[in-house]
Amino acid sequence: MNYSRNTLLKRRAEGFKKGWYKFSRNPVSVLGLFFVLTVSFLAIFAPYVSPYPTHASRFVNFAEAGQPPSLKHLFGTDVFGRDILSRVFFGFRYSLMMGVVVLSLVVIPGVVLGLVAGYYRGTWIDTVIMRTTDIFLAVPPLILALAICSVLTPSVFNAMMAVSLMWWPWYTRLVYGLSSSLRTEFFVQAAEVTGASRSHILFREILPNCVSSIFTKMSLDMGWVILIGSALSFVGLGAQPPIPDLGTMVADGAKYLPDQWWITIFPAFAIMITVLGFNLIGDGFRDLFALEEV
Amino acid sequence: MKGKIVVVVGLVILSIGLVAWGGGPLRATFAWPTYIDPAVGSDFSSSSSLVNLYDSLVYPDAKGDPLPHVATAWETSDDTLIWTFHLRDDVTFHDGTPLTAEDVKYSMDRLTTIGEGYAFLFLGRLASTDVIDDYTVQFNLAQPFGPFLSTLYRLYILNKDVVEANIETPGPYGDKGDYGKGYLLVNDAGSGPYVLKEFRLEEELVMTKNPNYWIPIDVDAPDEVRFIGTTEAATVRTMMSRKELEIADQWQSQEALVALDAMEGVDIAAFSPGTAFYLMMNTRIPPTDDIHFRKAMAWATDYATVVEYIFPGAFQACGPIPQNIPGADPTVFQYYRDLDKAREELALSKYSADEYEIEFHWIAEVPDEEKVALSFMSNMADIGINIKVVKVPWMSVVEEMGAVETSPHIVSIFDSSHYPEAGSLLESRYHSNSAPTWEQNEWLLDTGLDAMLESAINTVDCAERFAKYAGLQHMITALCPTIFLFEQVEKHAYQSAYIDWPTAAGEVNPVMGYNLAARFIKVD
Repeated sequence: MNYSRNTLLKRRAEGFKKGWYKFSRNPVSVLGLFFVLTVSFLAIFAPYVSPYPTHASRFVNFAEAGQPPSLKHLFGTDVFGRDILSRVFFGFRYSLMMGVVVLSLVVIPGVVLGLVAGYYRGTWIDTVIMRTTDIFLAVPPLILALAICSVLTPSVFNAMMAVSLMWWPWYTRLVYGLSSSLRTEFFVQAAEVTGASRSHILFREILPNCVSSIFTKMSLDMGWVILIGSALSFVGLGAQPPIPDLGTMVADGAKYLPDQWWITIFPAFAIMITVLGFNLIGDGFRDLFALEEV
Repeated sequence: MKGKIVVVVGLVILSIGLVAWGGGPLRATFAWPTYIDPAVGSDFSSSSSLVNLYDSLVYPDAKGDPLPHVATAWETSDDTLIWTFHLRDDVTFHDGTPLTAEDVKYSMDRLTTIGEGYAFLFLGRLASTDVIDDYTVQFNLAQPFGPFLSTLYRLYILNKDVVEANIETPGPYGDKGDYGKGYLLVNDAGSGPYVLKEFRLEEELVMTKNPNYWIPIDVDAPDEVRFIGTTEAATVRTMMSRKELEIADQWQSQEALVALDAMEGVDIAAFSPGTAFYLMMNTRIPPTDDIHFRKAMAWATDYATVVEYIFPGAFQACGPIPQNIPGADPTVFQYYRDLDKAREELALSKYSADEYEIEFHWIAEVPDEEKVALSFMSNMADIGINIKVVKVPWMSVVEEMGAVETSPHIVSIFDSSHYPEAGSLLESRYHSNSAPTWEQNEWLLDTGLDAMLESAINTVDCAERFAKYAGLQHMITALCPTIFLFEQVEKHAYQSAYIDWPTAAGEVNPVMGYNLAARFIKVD
């Protein structure tokens, strides 16, 4: 058993090196990484890099409302006289927070349920978990999130909860497939024969072999979660004013198109860059881990 | 000779064509929903619809003074408790049946029984209605009521037979079942200059010109009137540019108005209709139940920014009554932004600034209200008060204001008088009877104030009545239940190139809804 696991770890390390080499040689993936690093940097240091950090909170200055892009306001100002560039930088925070919090909440329960259902495939445990998962998967994700958010008070927190509630089944379904095939592998059977505990088998034998797939899915999902969070804000069910959420900014600006295009276009572009960045990284990771599987 | 015949034939064809063609369609946008039941509707779009579908005994002129309409003449008893109206005998309903005194009595009885819409104008004041003969009706008042004649603008006369034939039983009104509410939700039973053609509740109201109206309607008056339930800026702008919309709603943002004004053939009609914009504070829930807390907010509000940048052309309100409404008192105290005074009041309050989060609800259909809300939020942050801004659709606002528990701390609303006198707004805004309506979030429930209000309205002598109105305005301002933000200059984008709208030319009717009386508008 130890021989098999050590061999696997060694092969994984070698695969990672080869994968990273391949990732770094792929200009599109590197571009994605650049986007994500830039967005993360701007989000983390928004109070320091924003030209007008106070514009992200309870600030209005109607004397400067609706200013087009200029040297003073590179992205122009909105109808409340707030600097859009500063609000976009702070908007990255809420977008990234949405992605990180939602994935943090969904990955653990989703993976654990998938592991358990896959390992106990064919039993009542499998039936209960997977049929429940199927029910959630049967409803289109955005519709379910909209329904939940419209029942609750619109807020960033409730939007996160709504997206989380609809997202975990995808991880359960993914890990279920992996777990149910891995349970018949030699190293798992060997662990069972030597009397290893169920938790040891699930989390020490099966889970490590699912990590690459989970990680790839997470990087791809990050963009999707941000997009759905922005969609919820766009329809008024996410972040509420004056929180500088990118989706809310796009929705607010849409009322003033096409004359004051900058109010909508720049936040929309910011969403696109963020989502694109994570998707490109996800593709890169997929290549990286695919190499490892070889 | 042949040439003359050709000219004559041509002129005949042209005139027949013009008569047959008539006025083009008139399409206007509104904040929805609209209620076309005269016993239910009372807001702007509902009032505008009722004016076109129904007739009333008297009609307001450009000054808001009553003119004979269905009633040709009237007299009062010496004690002003009995009002007798003589009706025209040539008025017919849309189904061709004549309008009689029985229909007037039925309409008044139905309005006061249902108790919604404009019923508050008559509840507690009207003792009974009697039919003297087919064309004479008598109202018996329980007490003198100075502006009674003006309130009759809001008694829209229903066809009794049509309503009775469409009553659904059982219903909440005993043997009257639902009193025809279900039917009148999407049908009309009026005699007005326009007839309901189609009403899609969530979308639009379509009316066609009444060919048998008892007053000749100008041939250029619109043949069809569509009231469309949207205020969405992009939709309004697209429709306006395609000439699919003649009059835009008054809720377009300043930015949208600038864009609309730049369109060829489109102008902005700006007029002062006697409407004020109020930040109504719920005086029954903490911390806005504390007068010092309310005063602190009134002192911290930046009035100048609102009238200068958000609603340019508007001017700061002077107490609860817009200045162009008869009975308004220009000497009422006006707050101004003074943070020191705000902090002094806050220090006197039993609540600390950050003890509660204040919910500020603004109407989703009016984008500029968000600017007011965020400006207010910023103003209050200066004295440490935390405001939570909430966007709420109009329909939900009306619903939540129905109970004190669900009424928010603050809601921002435009309101105007239902008849051209200060007493109308004072009553609809502050009398206990109107507390569960969208017109009052304050929930003053002050029996002393109610008595003073009733005393003022019951005063027949005009000068004495106005003096009492003035006293009430000072008293209400001292209680500070409301932040009297500004008096509105109503702005509508309209197709000046092909419609002739008297209101845009300066003939502004001060009674809500009457500026959209389609029979006075000409469409080429």
